[in-house]
Amino acid sequence: MLNRRPISLLIALFAMTGDVRAITFEKDIRPILREHCYDCHGAAKELKGQLDLRLRRLMVKGGKSGAAIVPGDPSASRLLTRIREGEMPPNGKLVPSDQVSVLEKWIKAGAPTARPEPESIGEGLGITEEERSYWAFQPIRRPSVPNYTTGVRTPIDALLLKRLKQKEISLSPEAGKLTLIRRAYFGLIGLPPKPEAVKKFLADKSSTAYEDLIDELLASKNYGERWARHWLDIAGYADSEGHTEVDIERPYAWRYRDYVIQSLNDDKPFDRFITEQLAGDELMDQPKGDLTPQQIELLTATGFLRMAADGTSSGANTTEGQNQVIADTLKIVSTSLLGLSVGCAQCHDHRYDPISQKDYYHLRAVFEPAFNGAGWQPPTRRRVSLYTEADRKAAGEIEKVAVKLSQERSAKQKEFVLAAFAKQLETYPKDLQPKLRAAWETTAAKRTPEQKKLLSKHPAANVNNGTLYQYNQKAADELKKLDKGIKEQRAKKPAEEFLRVMRETPGKISKTRIFHRGDPKHPTDEVQPAALTIGSPPDRQRKFQGNDPNLPTTGRRLAYARWLTSGRHPLTARVLVNRVWQQHFGRGLVSTPDEFGKLGEMPTHPELLDWLADEFMASGWSLKQLHRTIMTSQVYRQSSKFDSARAAADPDNQLYWRKPVSRLDAEVVRDSILATSGALGSLFLGAPTAVLADADGQIVEGADPSRRSIYIQVRRSRPVSMLATFDAPVMEVNCAKRQSSTVAPQSLLMMNSKFVLKQAGKMSDRILKESPVHSPPKFAFDLDQLTAVMKAGWSFGYGRYTPSNKWTKPFTIFPYHDDKYWKGGKKMPDEKLGHTQIWAKGGHPGQFAAIRRWTSPSTGTVSFSGSFGHPSTNGTGVIGFLVSNTNELHGQWTIKTKTVKTELKNLKIKAGDTLDFIVDGNGSITSDSFTWTGAITLKSDNGTVSTWDVEKGFYGKGDYKVVPAQELPKRITRAWELAYGRPPSAGELDSALEFVRRQLEHLAGHPVEKHEPLKLAMSNLCQSLLNSNEFLYVD
Amino acid sequence: MWTDEPTNRREFLRRNAMGIGNMALATMLARQNLLATPTSKPVVAQSFDARARTTLGEPKAKAMISLFMHGGPSHMDLTDPKPELSKRHGQQYPGEIQYSFANRASKKLKGCQWEFQKHGQCGTEISELLPHTAGIVDDICLVRSMYTGGNGHEISIRFWHGGIRGVVGRPTMGAWLTYGLGSEADNLPAYMVLKDPGGNPTDGASNWSNGWLPPLFRGTVLRAKEPRIHNLTPPDYLRGELQRQNLDFLRSLNERHLAANPGERDLEARIESYELAARMQVAATEALDISGESEATKKLYGINDKVTEEYGKRCLIARRLVERGVRFVQLFLAGQPWDNHKQIAKYLPQVCARTDKPCAALVRDLKARGLLDSTIVHWGGEIGRLPVTENNGGNGSNDGRDHNGQGFSCWVAGGGFKGGMTYGETDEFGHRAVKDIVTPNDYQATVLHQFGLDHKQLTFQYNGQEKTLTNEHTCRVVKELLA
Repeated sequence: MLNRRPISLLIALFAMTGDVRAITFEKDIRPILREHCYDCHGAAKELKGQLDLRLRRLMVKGGKSGAAIVPGDPSASRLLTRIREGEMPPNGKLVPSDQVSVLEKWIKAGAPTARPEPESIGEGLGITEEERSYWAFQPIRRPSVPNYTTGVRTPIDALLLKRLKQKEISLSPEAGKLTLIRRAYFGLIGLPPKPEAVKKFLADKSSTAYEDLIDELLASKNYGERWARHWLDIAGYADSEGHTEVDIERPYAWRYRDYVIQSLNDDKPFDRFITEQLAGDELMDQPKGDLTPQQIELLTATGFLRMAADGTSSGANTTEGQNQVIADTLKIVSTSLLGLSVGCAQCHDHRYDPISQKDYYHLRAVFEPAFNGAGWQPPTRRRVSLYTEADRKAAGEIEKVAVKLSQERSAKQKEFVLAAFAKQLETYPKDLQPKLRAAWETTAAKRTPEQKKLLSKHPAANVNNGTLYQYNQKAADELKKLDKGIKEQRAKKPAEEFLRVMRETPGKISKTRIFHRGDPKHPTDEVQPAALTIGSPPDRQRKFQGNDPNLPTTGRRLAYARWLTSGRHPLTARVLVNRVWQQHFGRGLVSTPDEFGKLGEMPTHPELLDWLADEFMASGWSLKQLHRTIMTSQVYRQSSKFDSARAAADPDNQLYWRKPVSRLDAEVVRDSILATSGALGSLFLGAPTAVLADADGQIVEGADPSRRSIYIQVRRSRPVSMLATFDAPVMEVNCAKRQSSTVAPQSLLMMNSKFVLKQAGKMSDRILKESPVHSPPKFAFDLDQLTAVMKAGWSFGYGRYTPSNKWTKPFTIFPYHDDKYWKGGKKMPDEKLGHTQIWAKGGHPGQFAAIRRWTSPSTGTVSFSGSFGHPSTNGTGVIGFLVSNTNELHGQWTIKTKTVKTELKNLKIKAGDTLDFIVDGNGSITSDSFTWTGAITLKSDNGTVSTWDVEKGFYGKGDYKVVPAQELPKRITRAWELAYGRPPSAGELDSALEFVRRQLEHLAGHPVEKHEPLKLAMSNLCQSLLNSNEFLYVD
Repeated sequence: MWTDEPTNRREFLRRNAMGIGNMALATMLARQNLLATPTSKPVVAQSFDARARTTLGEPKAKAMISLFMHGGPSHMDLTDPKPELSKRHGQQYPGEIQYSFANRASKKLKGCQWEFQKHGQCGTEISELLPHTAGIVDDICLVRSMYTGGNGHEISIRFWHGGIRGVVGRPTMGAWLTYGLGSEADNLPAYMVLKDPGGNPTDGASNWSNGWLPPLFRGTVLRAKEPRIHNLTPPDYLRGELQRQNLDFLRSLNERHLAANPGERDLEARIESYELAARMQVAATEALDISGESEATKKLYGINDKVTEEYGKRCLIARRLVERGVRFVQLFLAGQPWDNHKQIAKYLPQVCARTDKPCAALVRDLKARGLLDSTIVHWGGEIGRLPVTENNGGNGSNDGRDHNGQGFSCWVAGGGFKGGMTYGETDEFGHRAVKDIVTPNDYQATVLHQFGLDHKQLTFQYNGQEKTLTNEHTCRVVKELLA
């Protein structure tokens, strides 16, 4: 049990308010006794020392050792002295001193009660008025909404404003439209808005533009994909069974996931949604013949009750293992729908909330027949086949043919073996042959000792099915072909798929017994199905029929679902709307969404919570309507900006004076990166993409990495690294509230992971192709600087140069390139350029000379040292020229079938100057492949020395087309609007251009193999945007 | 064109933020009336960083390594000899006992089946199951009177880490230490967790939670296998200048964004986290590489032996981390291997064999390097075990011991704790701490004290309340343990 002390809060409250309300037994003393004493002195029939502490008069009466209290006289009260001396509770547990002093004060005051105590008292602790009056157990009451006129859009705002006004602050002004559209997109569909959508929304001046946007998003199928994730968290969704280390796969769970997505997209009323999940099987007739689509839907819904980890088909099919499955399922049901942790009542009465151990088993009895403990089926054996009658018939027909083929094959095999044996027999002496045949034809078990001996003496006579191939390979091959045919025939059968369901077998009703101290091996009294006493109307526990005569099944779950969704249950609607509020604001109105009892936090705005719950039910339990209600409020639409004056009044924003900034959830981070890079696929629903471990042990998505995260397999033991790093829950049971951490491994992942680098590359491909919807802002950056640096380094082209006529055809960059070559086109020879081409180490002249050009990024002195070779023994050889842009010839070499050294020493050069390595045919242009390798050394006037290796500097991969510097502002604008939904500011564009310039400057001197410099620089720019806070957070 | 960019990080912080170092310090100074009380406290956006901070007083310890032993090591079999218990083996326990597992409970006293002997100059008795720990008794301070009052694992684990029994969601002591002191290393996380290859310890990530402290103070988990940190290095082509330019650019984007959203702790923490990650690439690679350690050192930690190799490596890495300025390192075992309900005769020796040598090696090695004076080493579980038999059927070979939070042992060494001493006592059977009881809150107060922090004054404002690690429980700095 948790060591929370509500009492100390009470005391603090007294102190704060100066309230001197009298201490009473019911209000103040019973909770202390419940926490520490009732296990032995009240809850159970058996009373230790015959002492019953449940009523004041019973305390006065006392037990075996006399009165427990003497009203008015603390020092004579044994209860107090034994607690003080640490004798009680036993085993060294201590009652905290603040509680002891409350006890003392109460006794001193004469041990008052709030009202006359009852004449008689039944078994157990019962529920006091005080316990029942706890806020969470009160009926939901629609509050009156204050009539404020300013700063209010909806009743939500009015209800919030009440407390804000007390602090003399107001809501913040409305957020900008860009923020609003990003909020709405991430909040409803979990994806960033496309730049086109942003532009449209910003331009939409209609008064309902925002409301229309919300409607549009609610109608998107992506909405279900996002909101299903929230429900799957609390339902504990996983694609594996967990519990044991094996963690076997759970193959058909995804149908339940799809059911959730579709139900949310259809805005299925939530009361219906809950009822289907708890009792879908009880909403339908026993299926006769094929399952109808509606029956499939209802059965799939019950997958909710099959989400708990279940080791009973992987080595833990024991009483404890089965009990654990039921206990976890009850936890999922109670945390998701009641917001209560009932688990501790499995062993003893709840120490803080009025939930008795008996109550827990009442609740368990609702689900017991479906679990059917006596006839427990492990997960692999409780599936429902989706085979239709037609499928079955088709499969039968196909099987018939297969059987026939199979028989034919057997006959053939027999024939082959006989023939092979006959042939083999020929090789033995004639007189031996009859004996050998007789031995061979006799089945092994019936052979005489002589026959056995004979066969072992002549092993080669052992022709059989297995050894046939050794005697007649052709025959064996023919049989294999027939096998293949049979297999192919069987593969024609319609694939058999299954549902994971929870359903009762009519007539089999397992009994529920209270387990002594929660030990399933120690069952005691039988109990009947009922809801928890505390949620039920006063003095009338909601009990359910043990077996509904109108249904083939017991109807217990259906009755329970009807009670939860009746509109009179105090918790269900509150818990649901609180969870929706939590998703929109990062924190629930009750910040402990799965703990509405005394161990949880009190609601910050109880009236708002009730208003929302009532409104939700009144709207027919429509989740989409609830989103509209919340998202159109001023509190949702307000800015998130920090404000000193408001913060002074409410530092932690408990009162919602601004919209909290929130980090995207793990799945949204991943999906947004894919959406931004253009790699996100649109496949909707279906079997999950399996996960696998990469070489480093990171768990990554396998077959289809383009799918949205909700479609990635959830293996409990193998959480996807990218998602787990960003706090996706690792499913043990379920998750009511995610953490949002900020740790270095996240940053390392964003900086270095293969996933992010790959997506940044894709994004850069994308922005180099696509046009922005916004025009770039006016910027100050001098693009000529970029032009200079973009030209620096190696480029590959063709032309014609002779020492006498100089350039008769100027240097032109090749129109085509791939991984290895720059050339005239994909086809070789090219119509225009023939065989003219360049590769890493050399090239080939054709219709033109092949030219490798180097452009200097700076002013300085340049040298070159290399070797020029012509390997072929055919043809007439090649001529190489080394020419600078001043048309000065620095070297000329004519070679055939040999290699020469080529040197250039200390040439003065300016930024933008070029050196051309020109190779042309020497008369003929056949067999003119050449190599020209080496390196340029540049000593810049600023003192830096850089080396430019010919071979290492070669690049070509990708479909990048040279983008002139003038284009870059547009490209960068596109990157900005994809990542942030907006164009860059002038300052941002300036700094981005400067970033690209610096990258290119560095890359010019340090070329990276297989990475074209501009593309790499743009990829790095994109990665920075994906890594940035503006991308990862919604304001 | 860069003029609207705050290019220098420190300048940026000065301009935009007040570091938490100042905040924590200011809070403490104000408590001691060393600062003039401001008449009206301006509310500024809070901002946090992990830079090293000066403390009040004279800190004895700079770093801490906690060897947390989930499950509850059986003190009667390891550190707390009970001759009376062994003598009366098989007899009935005379008093009341609280069990966790009533269905298997018995009152049959279960003596210790292993030998205890005196060791070192101090003569502390240690079981033969811990021969290496026996060799360092003169350097450790053994507390035999730990008390959590709760028998359950989570209840006590949360007490040890978060200061309140059973309550989840609070910051751990490691988080408080790094919040209060910052980091000596600017290239490694201040708070690091070395996980077991078998998975999480019981209670999972709560063991290193920052609770409501800013996320910066959450423990950074190292993987149990190589690579210990995923994505630690970029591909070759980005390494060096290119990535430096990327990070500069990213920072300029983030700072511009923060300037538009001042006061967002998360945004600041993420900026910090990228910078840390960048420095970590170099520093962590070096810190985690034990190949340069001498053969003698590796042997000392048992890295040459399959049984001790894995835990030995982690202990050695822990030393390398504190050498490099990491503030708080905690080692965990998967699940709770000390939870010997069953077959204690078989399983207890196993977990001892796996951990004893590396734990002792860590203390010896720190001492040899002169680091023990400033480094606290802690060893212990959240609870101990009962002196009576937990019956699991069979002929007795299945027997084990149930949980016991009423009295058990732990030890601390270095960082100003007194070596060669034992403190506190349990009753004659080892069930209850009876003399000089120490609670996890006492332990926390004492550890904080050694770091120059006062557990009552190290506070954090949350929800308008001043929160502390020890939650204003009655507790004390256990001065008797200090040199």
